[in-house]
Amino acid sequence: MEREVILEAQKVTKHFGGLAAVQDVDMKIYRGEILGLIGPNGAGKTTFVNVITGMLPITSGKVYFKGKDITGWSAYRIGRIGIARTFQIVKPFRGMTVRENVAVGAMFGHKGKERSTKDALRKADEVLDFVEMSHLRTKHADELTLPYLKRLELAKALAMEPELLFLDEVMAGLNPKEIESAMELVRRINERGVTLLVIEHVMKAIAGVTERVFVLNFGMELAQGTPEEVLNHPDVIKAYLGEKFVERQKRKQQLRSNG
Amino acid sequence: MKITRFDKLFGGRNGVLLGLAVAFILILALVPLFASGFWMRTLTMIFLLAAMAEGWNYIGGYTGYAAFGNVAFFGVGAYGTALAMLRLHFPFFLAMVVGVLAAMAFAVIIGLPVLRLKGHYFAIATVALATAMGELADFWTSFTGGAAGLTLPFFNPLKWSNQFFYYISLLLVVFGLWLTYFLMNRKLGYSWVAVRENEDAARMMGINTTWSKVTAFALSAMMAGAAGAIYGYWSTFVLAEEVFKIDYTLQMILATVLGGPGTIFGPFIGSFIYYILITLLVFFFHVGEFHETILGTIIILVMVFTPQGIMDFLSGKKKLTISSLLENIRMHRV
Repeated sequence: MEREVILEAQKVTKHFGGLAAVQDVDMKIYRGEILGLIGPNGAGKTTFVNVITGMLPITSGKVYFKGKDITGWSAYRIGRIGIARTFQIVKPFRGMTVRENVAVGAMFGHKGKERSTKDALRKADEVLDFVEMSHLRTKHADELTLPYLKRLELAKALAMEPELLFLDEVMAGLNPKEIESAMELVRRINERGVTLLVIEHVMKAIAGVTERVFVLNFGMELAQGTPEEVLNHPDVIKAYLGEKFVERQKRKQQLRSNG
Repeated sequence: MKITRFDKLFGGRNGVLLGLAVAFILILALVPLFASGFWMRTLTMIFLLAAMAEGWNYIGGYTGYAAFGNVAFFGVGAYGTALAMLRLHFPFFLAMVVGVLAAMAFAVIIGLPVLRLKGHYFAIATVALATAMGELADFWTSFTGGAAGLTLPFFNPLKWSNQFFYYISLLLVVFGLWLTYFLMNRKLGYSWVAVRENEDAARMMGINTTWSKVTAFALSAMMAGAAGAIYGYWSTFVLAEEVFKIDYTLQMILATVLGGPGTIFGPFIGSFIYYILITLLVFFFHVGEFHETILGTIIILVMVFTPQGIMDFLSGKKKLTISSLLENIRMHRV
């Protein structure tokens, strides 16, 4: 049975002056899945998400959300129809408490229109409970440590009750133990029925949670497939570790097979 | 300028300070029963400044846009009211509505393009705007009376004039306080603070930031416009040089910053502090413009040591010690 496509990008292109940051990227995200988006530094991952979510104007191409053309929509309208994201460089509202930060998502996000301020604060408590940050709710955002700031980004996005959530390197800068718990959280979010696109630089972090990985390099699609397929793909290895590494690997293998 | 706290009311000392504020306002309401005309006029000036500062607080304090041209709304409010009274023979209150609506409409029209600018660019654009409005009022003689100004009738009956302007200004200030409190518990208030703290994140979270900023600008114009309307009628004379004076913009910003930007009572308290300060300085250093030098020095010291205004200390969030003053420098350096 064909799975429902929740988001479709068709030949999405973003140029900065003469530089093509994203070039003709076709991507389908299926409802309920966790799709990984990987690529070396500067591959255009964040730019791609910025274009899809309306943070940056698109140069050309089309974006469909649940079959609806949302190309060129402003960011706030995209936020309201059920798409949320986190930012790689965290963007907390520093002058607000943790609870108020999250409540903003509940007030203006997907179902925000139906919610009063009080309902939104209640929803914020619920979300904080889910991400295990209840004990920090009255703290100001500028008092949090990085792992909690990353988690706050997630909570803010979750409070918007998105159907599709983009996570931009929520695990970067965390230690292995923190990565472990962040991955666990990503899985729990997905179990609640939220479709996820997880951008990650750390391959290991992503392989544990996704079924399907999309690789970008120089703004173009390099490969797609299961984590296993992608990680063993020669082009991917080359992109990440360089030409010389691949040659050295080959030589080693030859030496080994020659005995 | 970096403003941080999102005050619901008063941080830790809610009840006590709210009680004090209510008591203070009640005392102010009783002042005309025993005070002389001089004190009533002085307090009326402070109220008008406080009303403008409360308005500036919406755009500058809560939304974080350094608007340096709010006197333009004061001027439009004054001219709008005067013209409605003279040309259309409206009674004052109806004319005031015209003046305030004109100021708000002006803020919306100007805000839509100008609020796309950020930081210094926005500040400069608003300064230019206020200057241009002053020039326009000065030279459009057929409409504004030009350099001759507009002369309004005296308040009738004249013997209640002081009381009338005193109470209407006080009413405006109290309305401003209530409006601030009301909005800060509404989505609009949250959206302002979100825009101030991070506009990109605010947009992505579903906030129509353009609408949010324009509303803040229009409401700040409403307060300044109302103050301008009252001021024009009170002085019975509206002149471009007077009602578009950049000093008024600076005063409302200083009052807000002294008291505490992004707090409910900050601009109100700051207006009193500013006025007392300037009166004392003129009294002690009346030679030439020397008092302005001293005022400038005090403002620099305040900006360096307590960028959050004195509300920070009044609300009990910080203790007034040397170490907390030094910590402020570290936290808020640009």
